[in-house]
Amino acid sequence: MPSRSEMGRGGDIAIVGWAQTPMERHTEKSETQLLMDVISAALAPLGLTRADIDFTCLGSCDYITGQAFSFVSNLDAIGAWPPKRDSHVEMDGAWALYEAWLRLQEGDIEIAVVTGSGRSSTGDPSLIYPMEMDPYFLAPLGADPLTFAALQARAVIASGIADERSMAEVAIRSRSRGDVDALLAEDYIREPLRRHDVPPITDGAAAMVVATGDRARRLVERPAYITGFDHRTECHNPSFRALDDSPSTRLAAEAAGLGDGPIEVAELQAAFTHEELLLADVLDLGDDVSVNPSGGALRANPIMATGLCRIGHAADHVMSGGHRALAHSTSGPCLQQNLVCIVADTP
Amino acid sequence: MTRFVASTITFPYKRSLGPVVGAFMSALTERRILGIRNGAAVLVPPMEWDPTTGAELAHDFVEVGPAGTIKSWTWVPFPSEQHPLAHPFAFALILLDGSTTPLLHAVDAGSPNAMVEGARVAPRWRGTRLGRIDDIVCFIPGETPETEGDDTGPTEEPVTRMDYLASITYRNPVPDATDRAIEASKDQCLLGLRCPTCKRVYAGGRGYCPIDALELGPDCEVELPHVGTITNFCIVTPVQYPGQTETEPFVRAFVLLDGTDVIIPYAVVIDLPADEVRVGQRVAGVWASPAEEMDEGGGMGGAWGALTGWIPNGEPDVDDPDLVNRIF
Repeated sequence: MPSRSEMGRGGDIAIVGWAQTPMERHTEKSETQLLMDVISAALAPLGLTRADIDFTCLGSCDYITGQAFSFVSNLDAIGAWPPKRDSHVEMDGAWALYEAWLRLQEGDIEIAVVTGSGRSSTGDPSLIYPMEMDPYFLAPLGADPLTFAALQARAVIASGIADERSMAEVAIRSRSRGDVDALLAEDYIREPLRRHDVPPITDGAAAMVVATGDRARRLVERPAYITGFDHRTECHNPSFRALDDSPSTRLAAEAAGLGDGPIEVAELQAAFTHEELLLADVLDLGDDVSVNPSGGALRANPIMATGLCRIGHAADHVMSGGHRALAHSTSGPCLQQNLVCIVADTP
Repeated sequence: MTRFVASTITFPYKRSLGPVVGAFMSALTERRILGIRNGAAVLVPPMEWDPTTGAELAHDFVEVGPAGTIKSWTWVPFPSEQHPLAHPFAFALILLDGSTTPLLHAVDAGSPNAMVEGARVAPRWRGTRLGRIDDIVCFIPGETPETEGDDTGPTEEPVTRMDYLASITYRNPVPDATDRAIEASKDQCLLGLRCPTCKRVYAGGRGYCPIDALELGPDCEVELPHVGTITNFCIVTPVQYPGQTETEPFVRAFVLLDGTDVIIPYAVVIDLPADEVRVGQRVAGVWASPAEEMDEGGGMGGAWGALTGWIPNGEPDVDDPDLVNRIF
């Protein structure tokens, strides 16, 4: 296997395009159909076909689909004949990208496609996610995502990082609608969270094309080079964590080289308003950084694709003329596991 | 309009508890709450390993509580079917006396106005305790624990296992191709879809060619023959898991349809005992009459619609050593 230095310029890995399905509360398409559409949409502008793809990695979740090995039927969307190099992560597509980024570093292949997909409307998220929690102490209580988010919000508010007004402002900016005083007059759904503080339930999928340096430069004028990529996790039970901090995000950002230079955009997978304020604080983002210009997870939250969409929007910033952007993805209750990806216009 | 089908999946888990969680659960049946020492800290609920370093902890248990102090809380105005209480309640992080980490549990406080950081709460125990976290029904305001109903005492043996019934209901869209295949089956038509690019034919309501990643619409439909050859098979000896309706070993066969490349996988066989099935055997499709049709169609299920299964048709076996390799 060649070392990094032997790989030279070929060691660069860049995002060259991506696509997302329409983000809907309830789609009539199956997950396989969503992927069929979105993979075609990601490849077509690049003049690529499925035959050009050397490696695929799909991110999805059987718990959401309600079918064991659901990713096997999703393979129908990638055209896996002749047999392809393929992998799957039971995680957001952002982690599928992480695997593809590692795989491309082997240096023997040039192009990978990664996806994230989920039909949250298939089940009731408020009843499904408690079953993914600690099976001894949390699942039997029906400890649900809103409850965990509310407990973290209270901790973030107590630490002075957020208050209910600044949280409402995040909601308004993300969704480009609403009035702070009107929102704060609404009832709590889980004190201190109101309806506007929580994400929508969304069906959707995203697909991204990544390529090694020379191939990327032939495909597009401005590839979004992945210059740093890391993910870290914390203890599974939120009882044992400081909920007003996110040390795993901080470590991942340091390892991904956030401090090596300025960024213009940060796309954060903050499903709840207080999460955006906490993450911005932990990452020490200045006022000059545009946070979630896409509207973030508060505008569309296709679970298993939400994080990959963050990376896609950060890449769009670079491909459309920007210099450097950060994307973040998360998994587990109260920001248990966090991923940071830095993209830039130079390797 | 796309049709949706609802299905409920139930997983009756039996979880081993191990030496630390098991000790905690056993103590609950005695109405005692245990933490575990980790240096100066006392972790509740107890863990087998230090949550920061992963180092294994000595089994140095400490009785904590039963009363404690609210550290944080949220109010649940509309409880779900999974929640411990059917009426509005609080979820709270409760620092039990003597512990250094808070326990998540429900508090039956009546109103969010009664919830405040620093408030004191004590457990409401279930009368009959099994060694589960919900042996504590919830916590209640004050210093004094209470027990719901008659106290049947601790379990006789230490608790080593916990049952957890996970049940989820899903609603999934049925692809149009599947519905078209089911509809055709009512006229004893076995519908296939031919890919316009690679010319491969697919049966079973699959609405796309996985090789060319193309959707296959009604213009791709072809009618398939009802006669074929068993290429391979397995004999399934049923294990009696919950929901299993089979009791005797049964056959699942792979059938190659005459004059096509189409394999019918996992086919149900009719009038073909497990000790008589063989590769090369000739079979024909059997269809349910409209009167026999159940909600779920014939014995093949799903997109096969009224197709009930495959029966030996009396023709001589096909002798082809390559047949056995054809399972897709």
